Amino acid sequence: MLDKIMKTDLFAWIDRRTDAGAIIKSQLTEYPAPKNLNYMWNFGSLALLVLVLQILTGIFLVMYYKPSAEATFGGFTVAFDSVERIMRDVNFGWLIRYMHAVGASMFFVVVYMHIGRGMYYGSFKAPRELLWIIGVVILLIMQGAAFFGYLLPWGQMSFWGATVITNLFGAIPVLGEYIGQILVGGFAVGDPTLNRFFSLHYLFPLLLAAIVGGHIHALHVVHSNNPEGIDLHKPEETIPFHPYYTLKDAFGVAFFLLFYCYIVFFNPQMGGYFIEVDNYVPANNLQTPAHIAPVWYLTPWYTILRSFESKLLGVAAMGGSLAILFVLPFLCKSAVRSARYRPVYKIMVIMFFIDVIVLGYCGHSAPTATLKVVGQIATAYYFLFFFALPLLPKFEKTKPVPEGI
Amino acid sequence: MKMTKFVMAAVAAMVMGFSSQAVASGGGAALEHANIDVTDQEQIRRGLTVFTDVCMGCHSAKYITYRGLMAYPEIGLTREQVDELRGEKSLMSGMISDLAIEDAVVSYGKAPPDLSLIVPGRRGGADYVYSLLTGYEHDPEGKVPDGSWNKVFPGNRIGMPDPLSWLDHDAGETDELKQQAEDVAAFLAFIGDPHQNTRRAIGCWVMGFLLLLTLVLWRLKVEVWKDIKH
Repeated sequence: MLDKIMKTDLFAWIDRRTDAGAIIKSQLTEYPAPKNLNYMWNFGSLALLVLVLQILTGIFLVMYYKPSAEATFGGFTVAFDSVERIMRDVNFGWLIRYMHAVGASMFFVVVYMHIGRGMYYGSFKAPRELLWIIGVVILLIMQGAAFFGYLLPWGQMSFWGATVITNLFGAIPVLGEYIGQILVGGFAVGDPTLNRFFSLHYLFPLLLAAIVGGHIHALHVVHSNNPEGIDLHKPEETIPFHPYYTLKDAFGVAFFLLFYCYIVFFNPQMGGYFIEVDNYVPANNLQTPAHIAPVWYLTPWYTILRSFESKLLGVAAMGGSLAILFVLPFLCKSAVRSARYRPVYKIMVIMFFIDVIVLGYCGHSAPTATLKVVGQIATAYYFLFFFALPLLPKFEKTKPVPEGI
Repeated sequence: MKMTKFVMAAVAAMVMGFSSQAVASGGGAALEHANIDVTDQEQIRRGLTVFTDVCMGCHSAKYITYRGLMAYPEIGLTREQVDELRGEKSLMSGMISDLAIEDAVVSYGKAPPDLSLIVPGRRGGADYVYSLLTGYEHDPEGKVPDGSWNKVFPGNRIGMPDPLSWLDHDAGETDELKQQAEDVAAFLAFIGDPHQNTRRAIGCWVMGFLLLLTLVLWRLKVEVWKDIKH
């Protein structure tokens, strides 16, 4: 089909002015992709799909949403009312809003899988360090965008979640209090906070779209890693991206949509994990919910924060736990990429994945003495994993890697 | 393909995490299951009657308009029935209690929460509403006056006086009161998300289409890839 389009007069006209044919060749029909990529390589295209869905649904939500914390009848606010209006009175507003709310969580599901794949198969190693670093920037912006977005319905968890997180900045010496006030737009979370978070919630996805472009560009310079983690030299080891991977990605998209649509249509709150129960209660600055927890995708970092008695240490550790991802390519010095040929790293990285799930569980649950200790041990392992990486090549006996695929 | 195994294990672990973390209701007893059906017009209408006769004495449901009582097929009242219910109020008005919130605060010490979102807004949802309405008991320690002690309410001490007169009711009334509590729980579950039945109905078609699409794309992928040895 693509060939037919490329032979039309219209395409020839465009091609003479944009060189579109050469771009399609170099990026799709003749772009070399390793032939042995497994289904873990589908999550990148899925992340792009969810980003597009989030932006599209978001644009329509903004047509009806009103960012105002002005009180309305019955303890509600203009913002909360406008969300309920979308859910009840706007034609298919419920669909668009649930797609957006579920999409936020699914975005993190696919991105965490994508990051996990990169760590397991050593995709962050040379020559892909910058590709990985751009990816970490994307993760941070995503977390910011999700955090800003969660304030918008102005429910109890919106309000108290934002209060807890913005208060953290107070722990930073000297400038902390000032930064907190700039972010909140006053001395406590209120109408100015809602307005600036709304503005930032629109800005961050635009940044995401641009930086994702950079991520893909960087990928297309250094090309994909593969499950064996080896450099490919022979032409028969690669296949053109189109039609092979466009079709495989299309199949992955349909498979993903099965899960996504099941949640959207049959279980949009996901038992309080995707939309928290307390967020159906309008924000009330006089009544703290019994248990404040961020949405599941931020809970691992929340546990790291809570694992320290000193607020400053907690904030530093939480910031450090994300910042350390930037230097992962330089901490991991082994010449072998894939965990398939690194027996010790393989155990360490699988334990790291379980560790992050444990951290998430601890952060989501109401704090108990046991969970606190579990969270502290998990936090310790989180950092230990990264600090042990530079020493690993000294004693790890890697298996011989194959010559080709 | 060892990664596949690991992914499956991780997914299993997450699912287990999801299910084992279910509900923890603050102060009270375990919730009883409410037998509700949000597609049952009869039950929702009976629940509406309980709502207007009992709950609306103090509570409002501001996101449900009188027009909505006609427009949602799950309720489907006629114009005459709605006119009788609304009295002087506008068709576009929400179902607002005649008791002013300030007066309720004076009488009961707390503003009665709006009930539009009470089911999605409480852990346990409709079960919570049902268990709360049938949860009035004598304080085992004898400190809290009758009608202010509820076994499922967080902290047990509740501002809302026993709305269905559950405490010390005659044994013969138990079934009827339970039915009323279930009916109003069904009504509140419906208005918490009034498009939920449409959503599920459309969802079945969407899932059917996606199953077919997945199947077709899978066979297409296999066909195109059949000469690639890897």
